[in-house]
Amino acid sequence: MKRFALAGNPNCGKTTLFNSLTGSTAHVGNWPGVTVDKRDGVYKKCAEPVAVIDLPGIYSLSPYTPEEVIARNYILDEKPECVINIVDATNLERNLYLTTQILEMDVPMVIALNMMDAVERQGDKIDAKELEKRLGVPVVKISALREQGLAELMDKAFNESQKERHGSTVLSDTALAHLINDVRIALSGQNVNNPLFHAIKLVEGDEIEVAMHKETVPMVEEFKKTFEDDTFGTDFEALVADGRYKYISKYFAPVLTRKNKEKFKMSRSDKADKVLTNRWAGIPIFLLILFCIFHLTFSENFLFISTFADWAHSPLPTLEDLGLLTAEGEPINYGVRWLATIYDGTIYSPGVIVNNIWNDMLVGELFGWIGGLIEGSGMAAWAIGLINNGIIEGLSAVLSFLPPILTLFLFFSILEDSGYMARIAFILDRMFRRFGLSGRSFLPMIMGFGCSVPAMINTRTLADEKERTATVRVIPFFSCGAKLPILTAVAGAVMLHFAKGNGSADLITYAMYILGIVVAIVSVLLMRSTTLKGETPPFIMELPAYHMPQFKNLMAHLWDKTKHFVKKAFTIILASTIVIWVLTHFGFDWHFLDDEQINDSILAGLSRLIQPLFTPLGFGSQLGTFGWVFVLAAVAGLIAKENVISTFATLGACLIAAGVPELNGFTSDVIYADETGIQAVLAMIAATGITVPGLISFIAFNMTTIPCFAAVGTAKSELGDKKRFNWTLVFWIITSYTVGAIVYTIGSWWWTLFIWAAVAAGVTCFIVFYNKGKIKIKLPKRAK
Amino acid sequence: MPIVFAPINTPLKIVRIIADDKTKKHLESLGLSINNSITVLSASGGSVVCRVMDGKLALDHNLSTKIFVA
Repeated sequence: MKRFALAGNPNCGKTTLFNSLTGSTAHVGNWPGVTVDKRDGVYKKCAEPVAVIDLPGIYSLSPYTPEEVIARNYILDEKPECVINIVDATNLERNLYLTTQILEMDVPMVIALNMMDAVERQGDKIDAKELEKRLGVPVVKISALREQGLAELMDKAFNESQKERHGSTVLSDTALAHLINDVRIALSGQNVNNPLFHAIKLVEGDEIEVAMHKETVPMVEEFKKTFEDDTFGTDFEALVADGRYKYISKYFAPVLTRKNKEKFKMSRSDKADKVLTNRWAGIPIFLLILFCIFHLTFSENFLFISTFADWAHSPLPTLEDLGLLTAEGEPINYGVRWLATIYDGTIYSPGVIVNNIWNDMLVGELFGWIGGLIEGSGMAAWAIGLINNGIIEGLSAVLSFLPPILTLFLFFSILEDSGYMARIAFILDRMFRRFGLSGRSFLPMIMGFGCSVPAMINTRTLADEKERTATVRVIPFFSCGAKLPILTAVAGAVMLHFAKGNGSADLITYAMYILGIVVAIVSVLLMRSTTLKGETPPFIMELPAYHMPQFKNLMAHLWDKTKHFVKKAFTIILASTIVIWVLTHFGFDWHFLDDEQINDSILAGLSRLIQPLFTPLGFGSQLGTFGWVFVLAAVAGLIAKENVISTFATLGACLIAAGVPELNGFTSDVIYADETGIQAVLAMIAATGITVPGLISFIAFNMTTIPCFAAVGTAKSELGDKKRFNWTLVFWIITSYTVGAIVYTIGSWWWTLFIWAAVAAGVTCFIVFYNKGKIKIKLPKRAK
Repeated sequence: MPIVFAPINTPLKIVRIIADDKTKKHLESLGLSINNSITVLSASGGSVVCRVMDGKLALDHNLSTKIFVA
């Protein structure tokens, strides 16, 4: 099959075109650097099916970041049959800079002039025919988003792929032409592919190129000595860049006729940026937006309406006040059940309403019905137990968390699609610089709120190796979607059990998110001043024009997320719930145990073995007979964080069956019917007598410890170096242990705050003095 | 003068860039190359937002003291 590669500047619409051509739903966003790996699909409407390869965006063929290397190497080494160079017509000259470099290779190419609709909306015109004549390769006007001109583009590309094309350069009129030609002839003599391209890169002194053609370098240097330029001296790469831009503005730029001759008019984007990237207003606006997102997703007090009503001394009536509940506290009819998803003395925010509808009306009903069916099916007791308590409980616990995850994700997609993300990176850069990172690393971090896996892959957009390592290590602290259920379940239980419902569980959730960020900041500071010292890399980023988020795009994001989530629920999470169920129902002698004998199970034994380790964190030896449940849940979380709460649910049912006296008020039906996981946590609290600091420490530990299997695997491949990866694991363990211990001890005995503060001050002083050279330690030399 | 001090909303010509090779090459491919035109849109607290060709670029304080215009 023929392969057509899509190459172009970041954020010029490659992935949108890729999706339109192949019917995929690859992630698209309005900021440079969304695509960091190549991916392929098939276009079927040509004479024969062709493979389409989407490459990460590149500004030039001299790569700056790891993901740019991927794109360059693909075009050079894999030799696609045709390169489709996507040119953002709204920024023609800058985009053609890359074009002039691809032209130098011996590969067939076609130019796709994208975003023509935006150009024409401004009243500007581009003469594509003239551009085609001047470039010497076909130029097709397209709109990737509206799927216009795609058939013509692919036909032209197919046509070109049957021909051969020899590289041509725009530098043949410059003073360098002679030098380039000599090097090209020398390289052709060595049978090098794409001799013209390599010749020019050698003249530029490109790092990769110099390493590749060591034997030719002395010759080039010899040639260079005979050369002198007034402005540039011997700065050959600047000279080459200047040559390209001069040619572009002289021959290519005139194909664009502007309606508005005055070049520096403020666009609407510029006006928005005046406010949004303002030195003083930028960060407060960002925090406000973040608060609104959380409020819309989690708040049970929408726009604080019921608070205002209380102030006005006319509190909103609850459903009970209205006489809509039966004596048992159940809604009197079906209509009221729907009403209860929206209102109960307080108006819920949209995120909570969606959550209520999904859980109370859909998932709860469905799983309740299936459970009843299996209960009455007359199967063996252990089979019913496995299916109902193991599989169904695990699945429903996981699926019930889909709504808040999707709502949160939707808001982040809107931020991403509108173009605001790139601005946040910019306004945070100044702050990040103090911690030793550039604002660029903010983008992968915020992706971490969704899922650590794509976030870690996205660190490829960071040019500096040490900044990358530090960022990969702290990404799990940005609490991902799967950790959210742990937060809400434990926070809800804490409020119900200890504060008797007088308090706001979402406050604990916010606080934990903030704690994660604080831990990230502190550990970055520590790493950047000890093991990962280095200069903070420069911040250079393109700010794309703002646009309305595309509905189609947002839905594609949500669909992708849902697919990923459901797939995970039915594979790794399903498998691990079954394993946990089996291990809690068999003893070391491999005899089946009833629910009552859970304390003799394999898992109980193993967990009890390591339980004492967690004593300083508040969920170790002090918890007594059943204290191991927290340890077990945390370990299950290493497979997938969703397991933590579903493990609680499974264990809760077993403990009730075991007749633990503290659990008298609980029934397993209540636990299974409660999708939020709060009842399960309440059962754990009752059975173990864990304290509030212990619970908070438990969530803090889960948030900052080794992430799930998938994320660990990603970290391993992204970090590359084995030693660096092993240290990353150690780092996660130490960090989570320390954070948990701090939370627990300070929460239990407030005066330990002073001890921790003293330790922190001591460590800080030591690092500062050590870095100044005032303290010297002799490190043992490693044997070779 | 470095672009941090440059007048805003005025097209200026880049005359000199002091940066390490890798950064300089990246700047060049973004259009920040000697002889090219640049317009500073805002320079608050050292960070600079500028227009180069038809694109908008954000640069940190350190970098913007190293790009000289005339």
